[in-house]
Amino acid sequence: MATHAPGPAREPASSHPEFQGFVDLSVRLTGFDAYDLHATGMVRLYHDTVLDQLGREAVGRFLAAVEAAGGDPDRLADEEARDIARAITHLWYLGVWPQLSRAVHTALGRERANAAFTASPEAYTEGLVWRTFHGHPAGAKPPGFGTWAAPPPGAGAPALSSPLSGTADGGSS
Amino acid sequence: MSTAPRPAGHCRYDVIVVGAGLAGTLVAKELGDEGWRVLVLEAGTDTLSTWPGHLDALDTYYTATAKVPNSPYRPNPDAPSPDLLDLEGLPDGGYRTHGYLLQNGPLPYGTDYLRSNGGTTLHWLGLTPRMLPEDFAVRSTFGYGKDWPISYADLEAHYRAAERELGVAGDTAEQAEALGLPFPAGYVYPMREIPRSHLDHVVAAAVDGVRVKDSAGAPDTTLRVVTTPHARNSTPNPHYDEGRGYRPVGAVGLPDYGERCVGNASCVPICPVQAKYTPLKTQARWDHRVTLVTHAVVSRVLTHDDGRALGVEYLAYDDPAAAAHTVRTAEADIVVLAAHAVENAKLLLLSGLAGRSGQVGRNLMDHPVLLTWGLLPGPTGPFRGPASTSGLEGFRTGPARRNRAPFRVEISNWGWNWPTGAPSSDVARLLGITGDSGQPRGKPLFGRELRTALGDGIGRQFSLQFALEQGAESRNRVTLDPSRRDRLGIPQPLLTYDLSDHVKRGMVAAKAVSDRIFGLLGAEDRTAYGPGPFSPGYFRFEGGDWVFHGAGHGAGTHVMGDSRDTSVVDPWQRCWDHPNLYAVGCGSMPSVGTSNPSLTLAALALRSSEQIHRDLTALHRPVRVRPAHAPVTAVPGPTGPLGSSPPDTSPPTPAGGSGAGAVPSPATPRTS
Repeated sequence: MATHAPGPAREPASSHPEFQGFVDLSVRLTGFDAYDLHATGMVRLYHDTVLDQLGREAVGRFLAAVEAAGGDPDRLADEEARDIARAITHLWYLGVWPQLSRAVHTALGRERANAAFTASPEAYTEGLVWRTFHGHPAGAKPPGFGTWAAPPPGAGAPALSSPLSGTADGGSS
Repeated sequence: MSTAPRPAGHCRYDVIVVGAGLAGTLVAKELGDEGWRVLVLEAGTDTLSTWPGHLDALDTYYTATAKVPNSPYRPNPDAPSPDLLDLEGLPDGGYRTHGYLLQNGPLPYGTDYLRSNGGTTLHWLGLTPRMLPEDFAVRSTFGYGKDWPISYADLEAHYRAAERELGVAGDTAEQAEALGLPFPAGYVYPMREIPRSHLDHVVAAAVDGVRVKDSAGAPDTTLRVVTTPHARNSTPNPHYDEGRGYRPVGAVGLPDYGERCVGNASCVPICPVQAKYTPLKTQARWDHRVTLVTHAVVSRVLTHDDGRALGVEYLAYDDPAAAAHTVRTAEADIVVLAAHAVENAKLLLLSGLAGRSGQVGRNLMDHPVLLTWGLLPGPTGPFRGPASTSGLEGFRTGPARRNRAPFRVEISNWGWNWPTGAPSSDVARLLGITGDSGQPRGKPLFGRELRTALGDGIGRQFSLQFALEQGAESRNRVTLDPSRRDRLGIPQPLLTYDLSDHVKRGMVAAKAVSDRIFGLLGAEDRTAYGPGPFSPGYFRFEGGDWVFHGAGHGAGTHVMGDSRDTSVVDPWQRCWDHPNLYAVGCGSMPSVGTSNPSLTLAALALRSSEQIHRDLTALHRPVRVRPAHAPVTAVPGPTGPLGSSPPDTSPPTPAGGSGAGAVPSPATPRTS
């Protein structure tokens, strides 16, 4: 949950200007602030994965496209930049580098299979998607026995109206 | 195939058990405890029985891009397993399959299993409802499928034994009241019920007490949310076992860990803390007389001319990535096939055994599953806790079964995970990423907009799973395709599978019930059935589109019965044609009811273990020593494991159980 204002973090990795730029970009793509992104511990891995998958030249073009769009990913004009933005966002949300669109894959002349893969075991458990609904990654960070009985944030309290099995006051019709 | 000199791999035991899954592990435990020397041959590897091996499987699961049930467990070309990813739906209906199981039926058998030490039970969900008394007589009562030769009453004590061994958490009073299940007076499960999820409470508040009619002519059924028994560590019940209580069994290889479910929400495919029962927990308590040999693929059962099993031939390999192997044999007084319904049938067919009734491989069953899914008005708390903690049980019973298959309704706690692959599919969809990278991609959402849309959409997901009973039909079957062989040269199973109209009418009724529940919940129904790559189970029925899934409940390939002419095994799961060859597991079940079958499989395995023990005892009855001058009356048999304890000289009289009188004594094998 993002309760902290976006801002430059002070951990060693962020002192590297490339990471700082990558984090700034990722904040715009994901809607999570820099504090949350750094806290995943995935900044360096994802930065390196993007570079490794696309090459420095394609990343340079992508960054230029982002700058031309005023830093707003919604205004990315060309499909190559847009698909790279999709991939980086997908990586942050699920820990999985996705297939690029076939056209973009071909245009980039990538010398590797256009295949999805999980960046690391931790990348899966640090996926941002689980946080969007106040959850935890399936198979990790377990919240404890019986916690599933409690209403999730934002839910009313029907859970506590009939805590035990048996005849509830039940439905109509 | 290579061959090895016979002595190199030759050994003799009291019992050989083929397969170290749930059934084989329990049989080995019981017989080892009785003092018999047991050899367990497991086709797969043994990665999971150490804690580092377990962690490796967990990492494999984390990195799998498709988190299917077999995803944590490494593929093994020498003992291949079917995988859900093997099946692919075609654009206009129909399916294609790529994997180990060959298929030629009208509909796909969409069920996997796992050939590994621990078996498919490594990735089971862990639900342990008992079968209902009426489930044992569906042919005579409702006119479909096959009747069992034994009744609920015959199995009741073994259900209790299985509930102890597996460590079941549940509410017996609620099961008795809501389902009419007979329990002995005062009986409680080892542990208190797994708490209901928030979603269970939401559904109960909306539907409990409402009466619905699922199909024309059917009597009204009263909706009621009922908690489900699980083989999952919960709060021990101090009243269990006449006040002796119960100590939960924790993780294998890490003491005092996993003694309670902590809500990892990944029971399938792997419980990270091992709060869910797996056979490895039982194996940790095997007697030292039980020998486990993994990497040992049994290729056939060896028999004497008189039909008695002599032992097995198996192919031993070192490296799962290499085809190199050694042919070995092992001998025993009794051979027990416990390799899974499909694999048991495969072994009987490979060996040309038990063929008199013509039923080997036939009557293949599963619990065909219909999924419905939608969005609730408010947050459901998806992806929390065990996959399902409660269900609606009212459609499992009653005269409506004559017309349509009965079904059990599971309330899913994991959002649209099964129907759509959520939450990954939601991320991809909102980013405009389609399944086919050649297709144009949609306009993506980014930033706060994406985050909010995901949170709202996933947070309100819920789904229902309707598991239908499939009756035994001889046309649904396992055969072998000699032209298609696995890496070790063993012919691959060929499945022919379809759904009856009885089952399809059950799905129509299930959807009607779903519609009613969604209405009561004020839910937005997002259920959609159509052909496509992820819908191999697509079909049309009565003018509508339907998609079904497999439940992983393979059953019925060596059904038990009360006649050697119509069934493969007798009421003790002993092959009619081979008095010292058992085939145990779900393959023996003549009907599967609407209960997840593992508990019943376990109860049957424990029951058969008692008979195997009696058979062995009879075989090892002391011989009379001839010389007249000696006062000796008896000595232990040459390989008797019972030491100096008084030999049991009474004839083997199977205790309890109907049909017992028809069982041939192993000491006096019948010829057929």
